Amino acid sequence: MKSEAKIPFFLINRYLLRGNKWKLFLIIFLMAAAFINLVFVTSLFGGIIEMTNRQIINTYTGNIMIAPKEGSDFIEDLDSKLKKIDQINEVLARSAQVSVPASLESRNIKRSWPILVINPDDEKRLTNISEKIIEGEYLAQDDVDKIIIGRQIAGGDGVEMNAFSFRGAKVGDKVTMAFDGVSKEYTVKGIFYSKFLDTDERAFITEKSLKELVPDFYDNKASSIILKTAKGNEDRTIELLKEMGLSENFYTWEDVAGLMKTVTESFLSINILLSTVGVLIAAFTIFIVIYIDIVSKRQQIGILRAIGIKPYLINALYVMQTVVYSCFGVILGGIIFFGILVPYFNHYPFSLPIGDATLVINYGELIIRTETIIIVAILAGLIPAVTTTKMKLLEAIWGR
Amino acid sequence: MPKEVLIKIKNVEKTYSTGEVAVRALLGVSFEIFLGDFLIIVGRNGSGKSTLLRQIGLLDTPDAGEIIINNQNVVKISDKERSEIRLKKIGYVFQDYALMSDLTAIENVMLPAMMLERTADARKMATRLIEKVGLKDRSNNLPNQLSGGEQQKVAIARALVNNPEIIIADEPTANLDLKAAREVIEIFKNLNREGHTIVMVTHEEDEERSASRIIELIDGQILTE
Repeated sequence: MKSEAKIPFFLINRYLLRGNKWKLFLIIFLMAAAFINLVFVTSLFGGIIEMTNRQIINTYTGNIMIAPKEGSDFIEDLDSKLKKIDQINEVLARSAQVSVPASLESRNIKRSWPILVINPDDEKRLTNISEKIIEGEYLAQDDVDKIIIGRQIAGGDGVEMNAFSFRGAKVGDKVTMAFDGVSKEYTVKGIFYSKFLDTDERAFITEKSLKELVPDFYDNKASSIILKTAKGNEDRTIELLKEMGLSENFYTWEDVAGLMKTVTESFLSINILLSTVGVLIAAFTIFIVIYIDIVSKRQQIGILRAIGIKPYLINALYVMQTVVYSCFGVILGGIIFFGILVPYFNHYPFSLPIGDATLVINYGELIIRTETIIIVAILAGLIPAVTTTKMKLLEAIWGR
Repeated sequence: MPKEVLIKIKNVEKTYSTGEVAVRALLGVSFEIFLGDFLIIVGRNGSGKSTLLRQIGLLDTPDAGEIIINNQNVVKISDKERSEIRLKKIGYVFQDYALMSDLTAIENVMLPAMMLERTADARKMATRLIEKVGLKDRSNNLPNQLSGGEQQKVAIARALVNNPEIIIADEPTANLDLKAAREVIEIFKNLNREGHTIVMVTHEEDEERSASRIIELIDGQILTE
């Protein structure tokens, strides 16, 4: 190391050891606050997007949805197709669903909602609706006159779609399903609340129940088959399904998401906008604080120049000092964020109409925000330091 | 045998602007500083003596004239070159000590030496000088833990650390009590006896007796030498 290059390290060490500890803490705390400000908004939107995706996959579409071929209402020859699907290792679970064009009537209210016929055990392996029962129980394989309904169908005080629901249906209530000229009375066995509006507007009955109602209707066919795969494995699985000879339409959960996809894209745009504003606020705040700190040391910079310390070393000193401030700020901010905020919001998530959002941030975004804070701090240190090393030496010494 | 010229000052002029008023601080000052001089510059307030010292110490740049150090006119050189000369050839002692507040006495002294030497060597050199100015027991004190006289001694040790050709002191006793002032002057006299060239501005008549040469400035011009 060139002899003089050690000067900034030597001085930083002394400044940190012997400088005003409160000032040091406040500057580092400010850096931490700026870091948290940048990370928080991004992670909140990240959490909402993650939650939305999770809700779609876990309560609605699975990772892949298989739909009938063009021109067909059903996936025919269901059993053989399910056997083929079961041979694919990438498929972790599958559930065939039949969508019934029926209406439900209870409490003199009659409406059409999406009613799905399922195999409860298959569905249990695929979606988490069985875990979202807030009243009563989930369907059993042998249930023939039982129905589970979403909270938006049951309705009640505080329910978003109460006006278009049964306005307070309870477990044990009778519901009449009318379908294809026949009708049957079901007992509400359970009410589920996934917090995903589209899912909570659904009702489920068993295969057995439908066969009893319309024996000819359910005959080795399905309206859709939903599949569970490892996330990110969707495209590979679709390739394998095609290789197995399935010629239906395949959609990933993102394809099915539709409106939600638009919503998440909007979130991304808002996130970029808010992040940009956050960066600007952080930049100005850090710049002002570092600027004031360095201007207050103008006399010391003047003395360094007077005793022959080269300007580039003085600039390096203050740049390194701000790097130290920002690194400690990022570390402190990281500790507060990951040690306090993330656990707190995991415990008390943001409750939104589409689900509970926690704070989620990926490493790429974390690195970008860390770099942003450090780069802003470097500029905030460099600009006033260069200004002071270029000003008249006497004015610097006199602290003017 | 003719004396060796260390610094040649030729027709140096300096004008300061304070608002709309221009103050002509130096009006064509010329003289030479010889090796081994103990040169004292005297004059009333506003006579230009501190201004002159700052031009010689390369803390400021004259508007006209030449300052020649080692056959080089240092008026037109770059900031980097001026830093180099301040570091190696000139030791400057300020009236208000100008110590780094976060560095101990020994660290203040060793800092300029660290530009040229390894840290351990710089520390050894600084320790020797701290002992020389009588602050062995105060070497690890911060400036705010030292008296004015002690701070000035640290500043003198710092000025000496790179063994400069000339030591420039701008009213080094102005802020000191009589006892401390005498100690500081004694240090300068000893340094001069050891062969150091000293240029000092002072108000004190007592201190003038230490000088081998005295230049009196009045209204930016040399009145007598």
